[in-house]
Amino acid sequence: MLVRDIMNRQVRIIPPDMSLSSAYGIMQSHSIRHLPVVDEGRLLGVVTDRDLRLATSALSPVPFPADARVQDVMATPPRTADPMDPVEEAARTMRELKIGCLPVLDDDGGLVGIVTGIDLLDALVRLTGVDKPSGRIEVRLPDRPGELARLTSFLSHRNVNIHSILSYPEGPDTVTSVLRVGTIEIRPVADALRKADFEVLWPPPKPWAR
Amino acid sequence: MGKVVYSPRYRTYDFGPEHPFSPIRIDMLLDLMESFGRPLSFTEPSPADKRDLLSVHDEGYVALVGALSDGLEPPEAAGFGLGTADNPTFSGMDLAARWLVGGTLHAARLISAESETKVLQLGGGLHHAQRARASGFCLYNDIAVAVRHLTEAGLWVAYLDIDVHHGDGVQQIFYEDEHVLTLSLHESGRYLFPGTGETRELGNGMGRGLKMNLPLEPFTDGESYLEVFDKVVPRALDWFKPDVLVVQAGADAHYEDPLADLMLTTHTYEKLYRRIMELADRFAGGRLLVTLGGGYSLISAPRVWAILCHVFLGLPDIPRELPAAWLDRWADKLGEDSLRTLHDASAAFEPVPASLQAAQRNRHLADRFLDVMSPFWF
Repeated sequence: MLVRDIMNRQVRIIPPDMSLSSAYGIMQSHSIRHLPVVDEGRLLGVVTDRDLRLATSALSPVPFPADARVQDVMATPPRTADPMDPVEEAARTMRELKIGCLPVLDDDGGLVGIVTGIDLLDALVRLTGVDKPSGRIEVRLPDRPGELARLTSFLSHRNVNIHSILSYPEGPDTVTSVLRVGTIEIRPVADALRKADFEVLWPPPKPWAR
Repeated sequence: MGKVVYSPRYRTYDFGPEHPFSPIRIDMLLDLMESFGRPLSFTEPSPADKRDLLSVHDEGYVALVGALSDGLEPPEAAGFGLGTADNPTFSGMDLAARWLVGGTLHAARLISAESETKVLQLGGGLHHAQRARASGFCLYNDIAVAVRHLTEAGLWVAYLDIDVHHGDGVQQIFYEDEHVLTLSLHESGRYLFPGTGETRELGNGMGRGLKMNLPLEPFTDGESYLEVFDKVVPRALDWFKPDVLVVQAGADAHYEDPLADLMLTTHTYEKLYRRIMELADRFAGGRLLVTLGGGYSLISAPRVWAILCHVFLGLPDIPRELPAAWLDRWADKLGEDSLRTLHDASAAFEPVPASLQAAQRNRHLADRFLDVMSPFWF
């Protein structure tokens, strides 16, 4: 999943000499929190609702007036993303810098989109979500070549389709793989996996099974 | 005194000897009732025709099932959930499925024509089938076809789904329908198939607030199940005031079911069935259509449904012992087992610690559900 797959393409931009109150009005009326500041097609910075609120706060030693220009409070230079970046890289950048969005620039430096924290949440929902009837299986695999392939070919031999698969390291030597598979027969599949020496975390065996 | 709808032709809906959705379950049930000296008498339906199917299914999908049924192998089948591990294709499957649909539709017609008030369809309950997709052993959605008939006859329908899996197909087909309330109690889709059935699925458009879901925790026991049921179901029906109650009575929430993780016993089911009969009388003018559904343990499903038959038909008392002849005839299906009674033993299994936690979480679920519903109900 790439940044271009999840970014917003309709980006609302503002010029650097726009007043803080006008910028605030745009955020309010469109229910957005981030505005890229663009001058003659060139991205200069980003202003957020938080920037505006802090800059104008009565608690600030020298509060900006409502008619101050956004170029005086915007974050610059802005951190940006490339449309071809993987989403996890965008997420890591935003997490490390503790920022809420990344403007997306094409090869010529033109603004083509914006990615926000909400878009990353949407991506997580899509990665882990259910858009076709399916059940969930969790398997702990040794962290070495061929283990995931062994699992997927096992399912393939049973004619079971894998709708989604999520694998993450857990402990030094293992990964946990969470699969959504297109079958109602999750328990029989889990039993067969156990027989084939897989460590199945879900569904657990029934202690009272006859 | 209710009516039973059944045809021996239902047996043709058979995915093969290794498949869980086996007609043997009904054979065992019929034989069990007969062995009790209480053989079921039934009226026979005719198979649904194409027009009936098209009231809820896409024409292209019905044509695809027909082609596969005739032995053709259209390459796009898997994209429609057909020819998969759950829904293997077999010759004649179109007609086989239409028999089940025809039975449920026949039951609905008996009710809409006011010739019967309570009808039990001994089969069907194919609640996963979607408008254009086979899913979870279900080719055609017999329930949706029957519900469509009832709404076209001007009746408001409450659909109650007690199968352990979410009644996703029925919910989806009537997601915007203001005359159909769907209420599904099931094991949470966080883990279990089909993955949907969250409380937040409320319906759209005119159907908003009429689609209700209670996703229960794995290892929910009978007590917790009935607690949630009592807290929610009577209120929902009292609010909606349906003309008829349609129930998918899958038996796979039983603790022995091989495909799921709830822990109901036959005792829970008897209480549940008695509540359903009473709810139909109190809130739906006595009109009730019950289908079977999931239930994949050959040891438990026939016993659970035999109890359903007893409660539904108002037979005077529920037998204690299983007939020796029946145990004998089905010994190879029942396995070597100490099974002797119709009801489960009173302490059928060791208590599971997770059940206590599940009960607590289910309590929160029911409260949250009522919160979500309150803007619609008040």
